[in-house]
Amino acid sequence: MSANPKKGFVSSTLSYKGGIGHWSWILHRLGGLGIAFFLILHILDIFMVGVSRAAFEELLFIYHEPLLRPVIWALVFGVFYHALNGLRIIIQDFWPHMFRYQKQLATTVWVIVIVLTVFLVGVDIAGMLA
Amino acid sequence: MQVTLKIQRFNPEKDSAPYWKEYTIEAEPTDRVLDGLLKIKLEQDGTLTMRSSCAHGICGSDAMRINGVNRLACKSLFQEVGNNVTVEPIAGLPVIKDLVVDMEPFMEHYRSVLPFFINDDPPPEKERLQSEEDRLKFEETTKCILCGCCTTSCPTFWATDAYVGPAAIVQAHRFIFDSRDQGSAQRLEILADPDGVWRCRTIFNCTNACPREIKVTEAIAEVKKEILFSKL
Amino acid sequence: MTTRYARTPKPSGSTFEVLSWFYMRASGALLALMVVFHLIWMHYVIGLTNIDFDVIAGRWTGPGGIFWRSYDLTLLILASLHGMNGIRFVTDDYIHNRGWRAVVKALIALVLLLMVVFGGLVIFTFNG
Ligand code: HEM
Ligand code: SF4
Ligand code: SF4
Ligand code: FES
Repeated sequence: MSANPKKGFVSSTLSYKGGIGHWSWILHRLGGLGIAFFLILHILDIFMVGVSRAAFEELLFIYHEPLLRPVIWALVFGVFYHALNGLRIIIQDFWPHMFRYQKQLATTVWVIVIVLTVFLVGVDIAGMLA
Repeated sequence: MQVTLKIQRFNPEKDSAPYWKEYTIEAEPTDRVLDGLLKIKLEQDGTLTMRSSCAHGICGSDAMRINGVNRLACKSLFQEVGNNVTVEPIAGLPVIKDLVVDMEPFMEHYRSVLPFFINDDPPPEKERLQSEEDRLKFEETTKCILCGCCTTSCPTFWATDAYVGPAAIVQAHRFIFDSRDQGSAQRLEILADPDGVWRCRTIFNCTNACPREIKVTEAIAEVKKEILFSKL
Repeated sequence: MTTRYARTPKPSGSTFEVLSWFYMRASGALLALMVVFHLIWMHYVIGLTNIDFDVIAGRWTGPGGIFWRSYDLTLLILASLHGMNGIRFVTDDYIHNRGWRAVVKALIALVLLLMVVFGGLVIFTFNG
């Protein structure tokens, strides 16, 4: 008998103090999954444009409803994070030498993502107030 | 200084699940976690079980998760890890007892990448010469001591132990980039398997965990590129 | 004591996994440009609250119609394939039962097909 190592992969993943790369990966994965599920929904709502004006307008609340804004913002953040972190992974994969600058690059990703997200959320809030 | 060690215990003959037990000892800041464990075993609880041998970071037998990260107990000073230390076995391998895990699945992956010199040419009179520049290509990866800190810090390995793991890739890298070796094509073919290098998600835990400071993720990326360009 | 021996990698000659790895990077680089542009366009240039039927219809049938239809179609195909292949990565990591894995992968392929068909249909056939 031995302790089953598989049982613990979720708790191992959450408890390991792996540093910025570990958390980047968790966010990249959650972000990727989140965007993918939103994309399915997004294809359906745009498909309604082809069905009829009324059918599309039924779903417009997704983009207009102020109460759903935080969800949209979370998504915007997720997309920016996944995109910029994805670019970091691509750069490091093709120039392996860049893995030496893992910390600096991962931090740069955060800075750019925060700037982009704050900008778009600001634009949305300004639009809501106007 | 006074040090409290919280250690994960498990005896398969008595316990149905692992549990935590705390020990307090007197130690010097320059003592290593391994010294602490041996002291507990000697003075407080002879049933505490762990592996160690060289005690100098060379044999690779005392990898454990110390304060949440994989390290060698013999290379972790109390002045680095503090006086409240958590010690558990490395994750992803079956626990045999306390801090001892079954390394056999890990070694099987190691053997699967042909980690030995392959060259069918008859040996030259003196030695197989190599330029300094060629030697430097795999300098890093010759330093691996197969401790398993890297592979058992990898979230992909925790989820699927079919993943060959960073240690085996490091060992393959050592021969793939050796200009005197002729087995590279074979090794690249093995590592191109779905459970080979592609499972690496560049998470970097392995590089942070390696007690030999090998740039593990970088080495894996070099192997990935080599496979990509050999297939395109 | 039972030891669980892991499966170890074998030479297979298959190029699927290397191509899929390469596709994630090639499509990712393109998507980074296209998706960020898409977001800035919809939120900043148009504005979320201004999005309505006429805006979408206008951009597909107006003077830039060919451009927007090509743009949206490229985005649709790149993102759907990238996203569904990404979900496949995740299922390969976490679903170990061979049967379930096959079922989930078949579902992913089906969803991918539906995404491209539904999305492509409206982009190609919309006429006001
Ligand atoms: C915007 C630009 C994007 C970039 C630069 C990008 C880049 C990447 C890269 C490089 C990977 C591979 C990660 C790895 O192998 O470790 C990846 C995975 C993934 N992507 Fe993207 N991607 C982008 C957009 C998207 C979109 C729009 C979706 C959803 C439709 C998406 C969903 C996913 C998923 C689900 C994964 C798998 C995550 C994982 O294995 O942990 N990505 N992305
Ligand atoms: S870099 Fe690759 S091998 Fe290393 S921990 Fe991350 S996923 Fe695992
Ligand atoms: S690469 Fe480093 S962490 Fe991994 S087995 Fe070798 S020495 Fe240990
Ligand atoms: S006891 Fe040999 S490496 Fe620690």
